[in-house]
Amino acid sequence: MSLSDDPGTQGAATVAEALPVFRLQNATKRFGGVTAVEDVDFDLRPGEVHALVGENGAGKSTLMKIVHGLYTPDEGTLEVGGEAVEFSSPRDAEGAGIAMIPQELDLFPELSITENLFVGRHRPRTRWGTLDQAAMRAEARERLRSLGVDLNVTTSVKGLSAANQQIVAIARALVGEAKAVVMDEPTASLTDREVQQLFRIISDLTSGGVGVVYISHRLEEIFTISDRTTVLRDGRHIITAPASELDAEKLVNLMVGRPLNELFTRSPHSPGEVALEVRGLSRAGEFEDVDLVLRRSEIVGLSGLVGAGRSELAQSIFGIRSPESGEIRIDGADVQIRSPQAAMERGIFYVPEERRSQGLILPFSIKNNITLSILDRIARFGFLPRSERQTADRFAKELSIRGAKVSDPVSRLSGGNQQKVVLAKSLAREPSILLLDEPTRGIDVGAKSEIYRLIDDLAKKGKAILLISSELEEVLSMSDRVVVMREGRITGEFGRGEANQQVVMTAATGGKNRPAPELRGNEASEDE
Amino acid sequence: MSAATAVLRRFKFSREVVLLGVLIVLMFVMSLLSPLFFTVGNLLNTSRFFVEVGLMALGMTLIIITGGIDLSVGSNVALVSVAVGFTYAAGLPLPLAIVFGLVVGLAAGLFNGLFITLLDLHPLVVTLGTFALFQGLAYGLSNAEAVSDFPDWFAYFGQAYFLNVVPGQLFIFILAVVVVWLILSRTRFGRYVYAIGNNEEAAHFSGVPVRRVKLALYSGIGLLVGMAAVIYTSRVYTARGDSGLGLELDVISAVVLGGASIYGGSGTIGGTVLGVLIIATLRNGLVLAGVPSTWQVFVLGVLLLVAVFLNEFFRRREE
Repeated sequence: MSLSDDPGTQGAATVAEALPVFRLQNATKRFGGVTAVEDVDFDLRPGEVHALVGENGAGKSTLMKIVHGLYTPDEGTLEVGGEAVEFSSPRDAEGAGIAMIPQELDLFPELSITENLFVGRHRPRTRWGTLDQAAMRAEARERLRSLGVDLNVTTSVKGLSAANQQIVAIARALVGEAKAVVMDEPTASLTDREVQQLFRIISDLTSGGVGVVYISHRLEEIFTISDRTTVLRDGRHIITAPASELDAEKLVNLMVGRPLNELFTRSPHSPGEVALEVRGLSRAGEFEDVDLVLRRSEIVGLSGLVGAGRSELAQSIFGIRSPESGEIRIDGADVQIRSPQAAMERGIFYVPEERRSQGLILPFSIKNNITLSILDRIARFGFLPRSERQTADRFAKELSIRGAKVSDPVSRLSGGNQQKVVLAKSLAREPSILLLDEPTRGIDVGAKSEIYRLIDDLAKKGKAILLISSELEEVLSMSDRVVVMREGRITGEFGRGEANQQVVMTAATGGKNRPAPELRGNEASEDE
Repeated sequence: MSAATAVLRRFKFSREVVLLGVLIVLMFVMSLLSPLFFTVGNLLNTSRFFVEVGLMALGMTLIIITGGIDLSVGSNVALVSVAVGFTYAAGLPLPLAIVFGLVVGLAAGLFNGLFITLLDLHPLVVTLGTFALFQGLAYGLSNAEAVSDFPDWFAYFGQAYFLNVVPGQLFIFILAVVVVWLILSRTRFGRYVYAIGNNEEAAHFSGVPVRRVKLALYSGIGLLVGMAAVIYTSRVYTARGDSGLGLELDVISAVVLGGASIYGGSGTIGGTVLGVLIIATLRNGLVLAGVPSTWQVFVLGVLLLVAVFLNEFFRRREE
């Protein structure tokens, strides 16, 4: 690596001399046997935007949760304003001026904007000792106005757009007089124009001396906004460098640690007969008039922004939500699927996005998780057979679940191994149609590449596979066909030859001038 | 051999051993309070009282493992008792009246189950409602009267002895323990019960027929309540609207004491049986020591709180 990885000597000259807002040194955090971050240095200077990038599972969120007091580091020190601190809760961190805006906004949807801004904060009182509602509303209005928006502060948060909710979250962070704001994937569900508005707010913040940590997968945003960039990979600090010294290709190589084409596996297979056909499927507020075809030996990537209705669609096919209209055909025959059991009997299996809450029974052993969906097949007169263990062993081996016995509880496994258990469970059922919802989210690169090999292998064996993924490179590299959803509708369908970042993102966001994110940051930033 | 020592080491601190210790200490204390306690006659006689609670506790264990609860079991005993007694008094042959009683128990449980699963309501609220509803129905239908002119053979269920000392209903209980233990630990259904209690959503996503399992559980406890109610009615030889009043306290206490987590997910039949024995010993000992029944309820309340504390203690130690 030719670039310096010393965070202290690099950076924009204007902020180089100032004392950092916070400095984390040699931070290590382990969860059981898994090391989430190891010996990482990270600092934030006043008035800078410091981008934090890395693949899912690289340790970005863990690192920021240490800074925000949610985790205590096993090793390492944290300084705020030059003084060593130990946070035992986010409250401590917020008291020290460090605010966090998580990806899943922690707002209270039923409460008003004003109430959200003052949750957990000092509230002004009238001289009778009651809450001074008028003062709170006035301050809330003022806070929002300083961010450039004019909202009715008495409306409840659930009715706001994603962008306005984001702004409320930022305003809330600022009520605590934040000196540092950590933003985790703030643009994940924003439109192009809203992203520009967010950037304007960020630059207002930094010119006021606030430091911003910006976590994002969208490389072109990072090149647009950041002063410095830090790359994490597999929990380790790889580099900290001024944005001017990096380009997109370099950044991706640093993040992935190897050329991209080695991560994905794709062997030749040709799609066969139609296995699943969906016509005009609708469910109010979730998806509308969806047509979708899956063939045997075919991987169809389903792309789109968070909240586009992809999971809801897959769950409807799997019988978890009932569609209000439309038809589902399997091998050409009309079917009614009213429960997951019914879907499984038709050869459909859904691997959910939320593996800890929907995919696994965490306290159960690996064995009991793997066999849970096939008990109706293997039980004899309702009794569990002795062969259950061998069955579990076989699939645990096939997925190379390492470092654990099948009798160990899955709660002790790493994210990657947990995901392998979910996949083992689905394979045990021997489905012909497999719906995979974000199958590699939050797992390490090694496990990812194994899962890609498995998906490829399954397609070769004749399974019809729907690959729902928010990672564009994953969808583009693995799929025979890419289908794009936006706001509950199918907005694009591209063959393997036609699909690229540009067209998929355009279909996903509905905008024409939306630059392709992630891989082509520099060349696509002509709309600046 | 090393496996055996490993088992022993684990066993040394397990909840079952602690409960067994509590039971032994309790029996010792009771024998000091009353010289009558440690007679074979009394010990076997105690089993007369715990069979009814025990049968219901078996079903309650499974329900609590799924994260549910049934507060209506005591009222359902009254309903079944009245159903048996008053259909018999109205001229139905007693065997048919007994079958009718069992059907009423099952139907009452099914009613709970349908409300809980079809309308997605919390079992606590539903069974609190049916607790009052069944009780009111039992009082209303019996008109606050009692039936006690049963034929002699009816005593068989609650008063018979084998070899002059072993109460007949003990065999029914042992059989039920074995059957429910097998269901919970050896069958697909038992696995489903634990899966639902640990993560109902993931169980649903995995193809576990969550509603059907719950429906079976609430109906099943209804049937167990029916059996308990027939034994109870036979033992006291009277069918009345206040039969089984307050029994849900004993039942739930026994299950929680036995280690089933009230949050769902864990619990064993072995633990519940020990819980039932401890509560029966306590009740019997307090009677022998001349403690009035109102104060017995007080002691049970204390015991329930201790059990909850104990569960929390064990849970935290495991983590």
